[in-house]
Amino acid sequence: MSGAEALIRLERMTKTYLQGELTVEVLKGIDLQIAAGEFVALQGPSGSGKSTLMHLLGLLDRPSAGRYWLQGEDVAGLDDDRLSELRNRLIGFLFQTFYLVPYLTALENVVLPGLYSPGSARHLRHRAEELLVQVGLGDRLHFKPTQLSGGQQQRVALARALVNDPQVLLADEPTGQLDSATSAEIMELIAGIHRQGRTVVLVTHDAPTAACAERSIFLQDGRVVHA
Amino acid sequence: MLDTLRQLTRVCGMAVAALWAYRLRSAFVVAAIALGIASLTVIVASIDGAERKARQIVEMFGPDTAFVLGGDIESRAVGQRTLTLSYEDARRIRAELPGVYLVVPMRARSNVTVYFGDRRMDLPIAVGSTAGYAEVWNWPLAEGRDFSEEDVERGAKVALIGDTPARELFGDASPLGFTILVDKLPVQIIGRLAYRGVAGMGPPVDDRIILPITTLTQRFNLDRKYFRALRVKFTDPENMEFHVENLRSLLRRLHNLAPGDKDDFTILTAEEILKFLSMFKGGLLLYLGITATVAMVVGGFVLANLFYLSNSERRTEIGLKKALGAKNRAILQQFLAEAVGLTLIGALFGMALGMGMGKLLERLEILQILFSWKVFIYSVAAAVAIGLLFGLKPARQAAALPPVEALKGV
Repeated sequence: MSGAEALIRLERMTKTYLQGELTVEVLKGIDLQIAAGEFVALQGPSGSGKSTLMHLLGLLDRPSAGRYWLQGEDVAGLDDDRLSELRNRLIGFLFQTFYLVPYLTALENVVLPGLYSPGSARHLRHRAEELLVQVGLGDRLHFKPTQLSGGQQQRVALARALVNDPQVLLADEPTGQLDSATSAEIMELIAGIHRQGRTVVLVTHDAPTAACAERSIFLQDGRVVHA
Repeated sequence: MLDTLRQLTRVCGMAVAALWAYRLRSAFVVAAIALGIASLTVIVASIDGAERKARQIVEMFGPDTAFVLGGDIESRAVGQRTLTLSYEDARRIRAELPGVYLVVPMRARSNVTVYFGDRRMDLPIAVGSTAGYAEVWNWPLAEGRDFSEEDVERGAKVALIGDTPARELFGDASPLGFTILVDKLPVQIIGRLAYRGVAGMGPPVDDRIILPITTLTQRFNLDRKYFRALRVKFTDPENMEFHVENLRSLLRRLHNLAPGDKDDFTILTAEEILKFLSMFKGGLLLYLGITATVAMVVGGFVLANLFYLSNSERRTEIGLKKALGAKNRAILQQFLAEAVGLTLIGALFGMALGMGMGKLLERLEILQILFSWKVFIYSVAAAVAIGLLFGLKPARQAAALPPVEALKGV
């Protein structure tokens, strides 16, 4: 498979951190490819490097060495502004702790990524409302995060991740702080997003959650053990 | 271009939301900046006020006039004699000094009371004048006539009345022809001075009564040989320095001063008064300037401090916004907008406070205040400068946070 055909392609990617005098190698040469439209679970025990890999995939951090093609573009050497643009346009994020801005309403939180892209404000607001209705929060548009349950907050985050119509959804333990019933609801929404044709990469250490994905990539000690 | 503008508007919107969300913190910064801007407002307004006053004094004084005081004002404190100017001096100056067209000796008695019927008023000053008081002082009469040579020669019991005592004693009626008492002396009012109203330091100028100088010296037992001050007018104001030097050397000769002796008189011109006022202004600027600078620097540090605090507390927000696609510039702009927004609000409160303080100072007759657009523009400029200066470093710090570091911060 060539770099142009895979949506995400990593080659010998490493990430090392300096801890005092010590160099800690968290990722020890990752090779992997994810095709457009795939639903992939990134599994592994804690400390295996899956969160670090997730950050690198999401362009939130830079690899120490190796290559990364995203949609055919070599992104390993891009500057901050260009990375911001790519994140804004191509990637939606879900985090374990939701990361909503506490002083903004649900609607304002969903609108946020759109404020950093060139679209019109009216269109943006319309889309944000639509998405909140889709995740079942049509009656909570003007609620602050503290007035919402964990499940509702993650739905707001999901709507926010989709507002710029990204190609990829990166979800880092999205159900890690939710009860099993609520988790199932969120996973159902994520599966729905995949059915719409988007690529989903899900980081989890939980086997039942990973079972929603089409394919699992296992990480152990900074290496892919089987993909 | 349009995108940049839209981006800026959106960033400002975010800044406003954040300021409101952290309103208690915002209030601290606003208060600190407001104090600084209030001082600045008072400074600028009072300097403008002093300048206006200076111009009024010069106008009243006339650029063609030298004012000679008995005694050297620099050695007054050591008890030097101040009665050094005699009628003889006045006569000789009038006769011998080239370019002089008017020499007017001045005498005054302080703290007199005027009575009319059952009304009375205490006045800070009764002025003694030679003929033509209104002309000499560029002070038009509202009604009546000026002193004549004859009034002065025979020490006539006539008076010109200032606007304030005229109103106090006669209300809106004309005081002309009526006889009032100045202390115990009955005088007839022959003229009323127009309202002048140059307020500021010292007693109001309209609180006065003017008698012929002879009447004043004879009836109020003042020294008949000497007087306190002399007003000398020259025909060409361009050569004032030259005239003043001539006047000085003539007076030194008349007073038999040896070459090494100090002057026993002081010559003031409009120029000198302006010099004095600019010194006064300098002092004011220094004093209030230090106050304002300290207040604003304190405000700036409060601002910087709160924003550093903000940075660590809002790490997640910063990281999140970057993850969602905010460029470093957008974060920088938001934090700068917050800083400048706060200092601008501070400036508005500060101006209001400053104007209040200024009005109070004016009411207490400590300072004369002149508010203008200049005050507004200076305050806004100072506020923006402080916002940018002290907001820039924390904003840069926030903008430079790598998104992953910021998100891990919790």
